[in-house]
Amino acid sequence: MSTLAPNLTRGTKKNKGKYLFLQILKVAILILADAAIGWFLSQLISNGFYPFSIAIFIIAVAVNIILLVKKLFPLRWAVTGLVLMGLFTIYPILFTVWVSFTNYGEGHLVTKQQAMDQILARKYLPEEGAAYEYTAFKSADGDFALWLINPDGDGFLAKPGEPLSQLQEGEAGVGTINADGIPESIEGYKKLSIFEALADQNLPEIQFGTADEAIQIRKEKPGEAAQLVPKYEYDPDMDVVVDLETGVVYQNLRGDFVSSSGQELKPGFSATIGLTNFKRFFTSPALRGPLLRIVTWNFSFAILSLLLNFALGLFIAVLYNEPGFPLKKLIQTLLIIPYTIPALLTILVWRGMLNPEVGVISETLKALFGWAPRWFSDQWWAKVAILLINLWLSYPYFMLVCSGSLQSISHDYYDAAEVDGASGWQRFWHITMPLLLVAVGPLLISSFVFNFNNFNLIYIFNGGNPPIAGSPTPAGHTDILISYVYNLAYAGQEGGMDYGFAAAITIVIFFIVGTITLLQFRFTGMWEEVSENV
Amino acid sequence: MKSKLLKVLVLVLVLVLALSACAPETEEPEMDVEETEEIVEETEEAMETEEVMETEEVEMTEEVVEPIATLTIWADDTRTPILADLADDFLAEYNVEVVVQDLGVVQDIRAQAIIAIPAGEGPDIYIGVHDWLGALIDSGLVAPIDLGDKADEFVGSALDAFTFTDGLLYGVPYATENLGFFYNTDLVAEPPTTWDEVMEIGQTLQDEGTVTYALAIGGDAGYNAYPIWDAFGGYVFGQDENGLWNVDDIGLNKEGYVAGVQFVVDAIDAGLMPETTDYEAAHAMFETSEIPFLMAGPWALDRIRNSGVPYAVAPFFPDEGGPFSGVQGFFVNPYSENVALATAFLTEFVATQETMTQLQTAGNRPSALTSALAVMEDEDLKAMGEAGVNAVPMPNVTEMGSVWGAWNSALTIAFTGELPPQEAMDDAVSQINDLLKGALAGMVNLPGSYQDQAGCGAAWDPACEATAMVEGEDGLYTLTVDLAAGDYEFKVALDGDWTVNYGSDGAQDGPNYALSLESDSTVTFVYDPDTQLVTTTIE
Repeated sequence: MSTLAPNLTRGTKKNKGKYLFLQILKVAILILADAAIGWFLSQLISNGFYPFSIAIFIIAVAVNIILLVKKLFPLRWAVTGLVLMGLFTIYPILFTVWVSFTNYGEGHLVTKQQAMDQILARKYLPEEGAAYEYTAFKSADGDFALWLINPDGDGFLAKPGEPLSQLQEGEAGVGTINADGIPESIEGYKKLSIFEALADQNLPEIQFGTADEAIQIRKEKPGEAAQLVPKYEYDPDMDVVVDLETGVVYQNLRGDFVSSSGQELKPGFSATIGLTNFKRFFTSPALRGPLLRIVTWNFSFAILSLLLNFALGLFIAVLYNEPGFPLKKLIQTLLIIPYTIPALLTILVWRGMLNPEVGVISETLKALFGWAPRWFSDQWWAKVAILLINLWLSYPYFMLVCSGSLQSISHDYYDAAEVDGASGWQRFWHITMPLLLVAVGPLLISSFVFNFNNFNLIYIFNGGNPPIAGSPTPAGHTDILISYVYNLAYAGQEGGMDYGFAAAITIVIFFIVGTITLLQFRFTGMWEEVSENV
Repeated sequence: MKSKLLKVLVLVLVLVLALSACAPETEEPEMDVEETEEIVEETEEAMETEEVMETEEVEMTEEVVEPIATLTIWADDTRTPILADLADDFLAEYNVEVVVQDLGVVQDIRAQAIIAIPAGEGPDIYIGVHDWLGALIDSGLVAPIDLGDKADEFVGSALDAFTFTDGLLYGVPYATENLGFFYNTDLVAEPPTTWDEVMEIGQTLQDEGTVTYALAIGGDAGYNAYPIWDAFGGYVFGQDENGLWNVDDIGLNKEGYVAGVQFVVDAIDAGLMPETTDYEAAHAMFETSEIPFLMAGPWALDRIRNSGVPYAVAPFFPDEGGPFSGVQGFFVNPYSENVALATAFLTEFVATQETMTQLQTAGNRPSALTSALAVMEDEDLKAMGEAGVNAVPMPNVTEMGSVWGAWNSALTIAFTGELPPQEAMDDAVSQINDLLKGALAGMVNLPGSYQDQAGCGAAWDPACEATAMVEGEDGLYTLTVDLAAGDYEFKVALDGDWTVNYGSDGAQDGPNYALSLESDSTVTFVYDPDTQLVTTTIE
């Protein structure tokens, strides 16, 4: 306290001291943070996560520069936001682009290092090699010894680096040998159960006996110890793996070690494969086949949904906008209910209600007219069903949005129009609509884009069914691009998740949707001009 | 102010208590017991001084021995409680802690494992179904297990399901599941013995006005109507004499399979079956006696029992085909630090009659261990187990993943009458072939030791575009390359893959062609697809 008190009188000096202290503190924290990031990076790199480590490195460098360079002071306040944007927006985009040039997917999930770790750890028992049952013993110093029993029932004591010694009861500290041929005790050692022994992760790596007859515990059969020999060896110069048992050479071919007769060493690993994913998409039967059909339906679905939902929402909103509508609040509340129930449940309920055998709607129609549409088997009725469900799901949204906007339109316009003798329709088309569109135009676009990629609805309702007959690749009449791509990428070539291929298609779709959105922004520009003219 | 502070404090306390009550029990089951004991003792001796209690606490911590190792298991919601009980026993006996994590339904475990294991975050052991095997091995997410003599104690077909084409076992099976033939005992006194009889009984009942249909397929038809396909001689992939899958032999458009589809289509046309195949609808119709017959699996037992419908389960008809069988089992993560311990846990502790019986009783699935199966009491499961004897194992090869979508779509197309069965199934097979061969379908290539001179990055690459052969108007494929003097070997490979390859005898997997060049030359290869032979011209 006493040192601080004089400083109070000399403000500038105190501030300088404080500044210096803060500066040092900042640099110290930064160094600590950098050290932590450096350690994290080394971990990432050793595990083969190269793209992620590059991203972290770039972000770390950027943060350092921003914090240390005085000129960039204003950016400091945005640093958290920038880091988050880098990590959660820019990095995923770049990562998707990177993945699209790799074969990352089922069959190629692990890194090359991980794949080699697994392959090189494999061992085999040569024909002349001996296999034993064993019991593990551990000394007070933590040294292990194995009591081995060969198929003839002879007992051996094995210690690391020492030759095996066949021992009888009483020799070299071996205690009473029980009916199973296992000594109850060995002097200086404690007998372990198999689980106690294997709880030590190092035990399977220890070589018992001398180097030329080394005995190890078999990982895939932990009750056995045998003269195991490594099965594979890696030659980094040639980038090949050699089978030491058969001499077969496996070369690295785009993420698989393959022999000249086509034998693959599992597992494969992720590797860059150039433009193959894009090539596969553009030459696949997927493009020759139903793509045009799917794109057409995708657009019709998005546009029709938008028009229907908006029209119904607006209609209801206009009705309510009339003063003196009875029970306004109550009905409005009821109408909002579909919006408050999770879409997932609503879709499932509709799916049940439309079921041709047990669904309440189909049953009612059958009882009344003796006929019900084939909601799931006929392509046109399936499309109608999807539009209906989407209408049910989305009209409350437009109702809410429109009633808000309608109330913000000044009543002066209507009064003036009435004076000029405009009819109700004229007032609606020339005042309400233009002013409304200014407010809801951007929402219409977002709704369009949302419906364009409305995967949930299609996937949960009927999975894109009914299937298109004669299509060169499995596709459904109600499939939209995103659900079609999902099927292409996740039920594809290797029968599993093909992230690389999915990423490539995603990029293609991004360009399609991006172009559409760009064109639509032109349209919004037009609407803005309308608002200026009014 | 003070009262406000107090309120906040109370609120925080309540929250903390609520949170600790919500904490997952499975994580530290043993610690929980210790803690409650401690609390009990504390309250009993509340009158004693603090010092005494402190010394007691020290004693308590001394008694709690640190577990010498920890194993993590990912299980589904049915198996988690059983495994958690086993974990307590295991900890008490061997002082090895087993943490069981509940991942919901079995199918979710795969999606999680695919991401977690390569990232080094995977469990030591996880539960799965045998038809994942091909994909898991391709991706390196499962370690081999050798059961040794214990293998004899397992149901043979269950072990086969977890044995891959390399002959190694990749998991410890614990349960089998397959469809059984359910019939309504009020409507049908004796179960039918042929599929024709099923439809005849259905027809009679329908004429009486008691039922709507004879039969409904409860879900995607490929799997859920497999007994019908099998009865007519249909199959997905052929099997060689050793039971290994031959993915080049797709049976879906062959005579037997198409006859099966025709049988169903005829039934639909006659109004004896609905054209849609919905799980909910089919089960609801059976439970309300609208259909007398249903093919359903053990997963539906509880709901059918709860519905109160009078039912019995029959094995499928003798000599008339069986269902697909799925086998559930434990996999070991090869990147676990405790591979040996995890394997020992499975082979020495789980693969015992006691454990397997518990899994069978709580899991509602026939056990994969013979001795556990012998003590099963549930009549319905027994019948389903009998049906399982004729069951066809679901192919565990990766290629199966490319089959389901095309297969089910084609069946829907046939059922709704869009295309006749033969055409629909032909389409499905060509779709599957396209998927299996990928972008390189139709490529004829000459992989060999010369390839690195011909513009390929490596030798023996069946997908290298630089050595892809070009088809001429005469139907022959040609490739011309400039090569330095030396000895070379090569082979013919189709579709950019080694699956179909021809040697110098024109036969699949035949010996390599040999090519010897005394000087640098231009070599023209011509491949004749009819003889599957290559002729070489050296200039």
